[in-house]
Amino acid sequence: MNGFRYTIVFGALALLVLFLLYPLSLVLDASLRVKGTGTFTLANYVQIFASKYYVNSIANSLLAAAFATVGATLIGTPLAFCLARVDVPGKTVLLTLATLPLVLPSFVAAYALVLLFGHAGVVTTALRGIGIPMGPIYGLTGITIVFLLTLYPYVLMPAIAGFRAIDISIEEAARNLGGSRLHAFRTVLLPVAMPAVLAGALLVFIEALENFGVPVVLAEDRPFLAVDIFKLFAGEADNNPAAAGALSVLLIACTAMVLLVQRRYLNKRRFATNARTAPPPLPLSPGWRLLATIFSWGIVVLSLLPFLAVLFISFLHFRGPVLTWQLGLSNYSMLLEGSFRPLYNTLFLATITAIVATLLGAPIGYIVTRHRGVLSTGLDMIGMVPFAVSGTVLAIGLIIAFNSGLLILTGGWLILVIAYVVRKLPFCIRSSSAIVHQIEPSLEEASINLGVSPLRTFVTLTVPLMASGLIGGMILVWITAASELSSTIVLYTSRWSTMTVRMYHFLEGGEGAGSASAAAAILILFTAVPLLLIHRRVRRQDGTVL
Amino acid sequence: MTTIRLDSVSRTFGAVRAVDNVSATIEEGKLFTLLGPSGCGKTTLLRMIAGFAEVEAGSIWFDDRRIDTLPAHRRNTGMVFQNYAIFPNLTVEGNVAYGLRARKVTPTDIAARVEKALERVRLPGYGPRWPHQLSGGQLQRVAIARVLVIEPAVLLFDEPLSNLDAQLRTQMRVEIRQLQQSLGLTAIYVTHDQEEALAISDRIAILRSGKIEQVGSPEEIYQRPQTAFVAEFLGGANMLPGVAGTFDGHRTEVASCGTSISVHGKVAKTGQKLLLSIRPEALRLAEVSEGPVLHAKLVLREFLGQIQRLHATLPDGTQIRVSTLGSLQVAATAGAALAFAYDPAQIMVYPAP
Repeated sequence: MNGFRYTIVFGALALLVLFLLYPLSLVLDASLRVKGTGTFTLANYVQIFASKYYVNSIANSLLAAAFATVGATLIGTPLAFCLARVDVPGKTVLLTLATLPLVLPSFVAAYALVLLFGHAGVVTTALRGIGIPMGPIYGLTGITIVFLLTLYPYVLMPAIAGFRAIDISIEEAARNLGGSRLHAFRTVLLPVAMPAVLAGALLVFIEALENFGVPVVLAEDRPFLAVDIFKLFAGEADNNPAAAGALSVLLIACTAMVLLVQRRYLNKRRFATNARTAPPPLPLSPGWRLLATIFSWGIVVLSLLPFLAVLFISFLHFRGPVLTWQLGLSNYSMLLEGSFRPLYNTLFLATITAIVATLLGAPIGYIVTRHRGVLSTGLDMIGMVPFAVSGTVLAIGLIIAFNSGLLILTGGWLILVIAYVVRKLPFCIRSSSAIVHQIEPSLEEASINLGVSPLRTFVTLTVPLMASGLIGGMILVWITAASELSSTIVLYTSRWSTMTVRMYHFLEGGEGAGSASAAAAILILFTAVPLLLIHRRVRRQDGTVL
Repeated sequence: MTTIRLDSVSRTFGAVRAVDNVSATIEEGKLFTLLGPSGCGKTTLLRMIAGFAEVEAGSIWFDDRRIDTLPAHRRNTGMVFQNYAIFPNLTVEGNVAYGLRARKVTPTDIAARVEKALERVRLPGYGPRWPHQLSGGQLQRVAIARVLVIEPAVLLFDEPLSNLDAQLRTQMRVEIRQLQQSLGLTAIYVTHDQEEALAISDRIAILRSGKIEQVGSPEEIYQRPQTAFVAEFLGGANMLPGVAGTFDGHRTEVASCGTSISVHGKVAKTGQKLLLSIRPEALRLAEVSEGPVLHAKLVLREFLGQIQRLHATLPDGTQIRVSTLGSLQVAATAGAALAFAYDPAQIMVYPAP
């Protein structure tokens, strides 16, 4: 068993060092050198803080993330309470639908906002037609709205679990001691569920800060960190890899700090009261119940509306950038006219990624859960680093690292898979670790005691017991890899273009609104259908998404 | 039939000596119980024998084979776990056949032996069922059948009954004892339940902070506890501090709790501090006082059916427990004066801690 353990630990560490820490160290290195000569300098950072544009860029990103975090918490917490404790009609369906924004590509929602409220948007035009001018949706407003609508499930899911884990007896004790229902909620239920809520909120902050797809669609020319990093690295006009590196380092510093705060906060607070059964629904008056129902359905439907709008619009005919009300498949035929290649690429890359990430994550999750030690703790920590690194930054690091030298990977499909696998690894480790937690160690001991060697026990007993959970996780990885944009946009080549890249180019060109909507619709189907198929399994693992 | 020998076995967790230089011999066919409070090292010791905890120093022998150097799956022990550890993905038949398949027994043999083992634990015909269809007691029977079927060198029980309700627990312990005796298997049984230990064991080892405090038959351990810890842990004896008085050639008078208690023989030099241990059932309610008597005031009476337990205070306020038959009439009011007769020979004396 020790051999198995060390193989996994050292193999995983080697891969993470090569494909994560080494590329990131090169990004840091690039940010500290003078372009061309290579002498050490802090000038790149000085230049950033001296430039009004880049200071704005950092401020805008932080602001959007902060607004999204506060908003998501304010929406997610009451919604979680409604779904956990109120007898809302259609709760099961609602819960499934509420998980969708977690995996649906957020830049598609951003694009929907453009289609509806943009310069030539359906709603904007209609309102202008009757004489009401529309304010611009671009910039901070639109970006915050999209973040809010797509990221609130990060607060919702753990908060539901948090409210459900509170044993009814705690609430009854509060009431028995003389507290009203509201008082019990304020003094007991909310504080007990709070760590779960805040853990989710900080995740919203990190995701919003790192997100590339939403600002790239909605920022137009306004400065945003994730977009500026990409432009500085890959842009033709103002290419400056050293400045891109410096901005990347600042971005990582922000996310890493938030992540550390989150870990520290959570370590101190573990209020789980381990309810044997979920607490029963509150006995509400019909009026309150109706209000809760309208609120719950309202939020969930609103968050899915952009995606539904895109689906619908994809079947309408575009004349250039102008939308007409003629139904048809012209957008799809236009999209696929060019080539099926990006579609195949997306399927191929997502499938390979799902398989590799699961095969890597499962044994790592097993070892960090079962074997406590310096090595496995270290592995656990390094395995979480990708959480703090945005896809764009990781991709830039990979390009610097594997563009020349012994190992040249740029230009092929492998580098895309590597970026995806590294990004999805924390999820795979977490979900596999959660599955292992549910398997009693004594089961493995019983097997060994009955004469089956530890390695065979792992293969013939533990792996089958983990299988159903692993398949659920694997499908989630597949979904998120299929809709990945932030690292793809840096790493793709024309031979290995994907659906997301196609969509990005249609949007950038401005002329391809119709094709873009078709590409977006295909992405929605790619992500929503598998998720709905496995929704039961996914819901059980909600906690592990975090 | 296997004799188990533990030779100076030790194990530390950080600064804690979980198992501290333990030596013991378990004769073949005997049921040997490791009994002690939680954290005394009993489970660690059992897991060392099974191969799930490392042996840092010392050695473990089955007859003349040293087994602590063998990997866990080669030791041929049959372990019954506290939470049963039934494989949820296999049927009852699959669970019981698990060890036989690992031993490459032919399928026809497996079927026959599995059915025989299930009959032995009174679950005939349960083979095709799934674990989630069984009750806790049935799962525990499956767990026992699963280890019996491989004909292990020794049986290891890790608090096997603690997850069952009280009635099932007493029933299952009789079944376990009968199976173990009829098969003549050497068994080690870990529990923190003293009644269970007394009922089931051939020999008991009382453990305290990783060390064996006393080994003996249930009767020896109960009647002649060698240390104050054993006396108090087993049977909840009243532990009273005192100072030895004069020896009258027959008994020693010990000043204790504001009164005087007679102890058989010369137990200590005059003036030496002592700890007396009086079992709750060693005190009898006395109407007419013949011989030594202890005067006390009733605090509380607990009626338990067969017996009743009286809580009373000695003159200095020290509270003692007394067990009497439930059928006995007792003045029920608190504060009533009671007199307890006792046999000085039944009072154990230990040096003061």
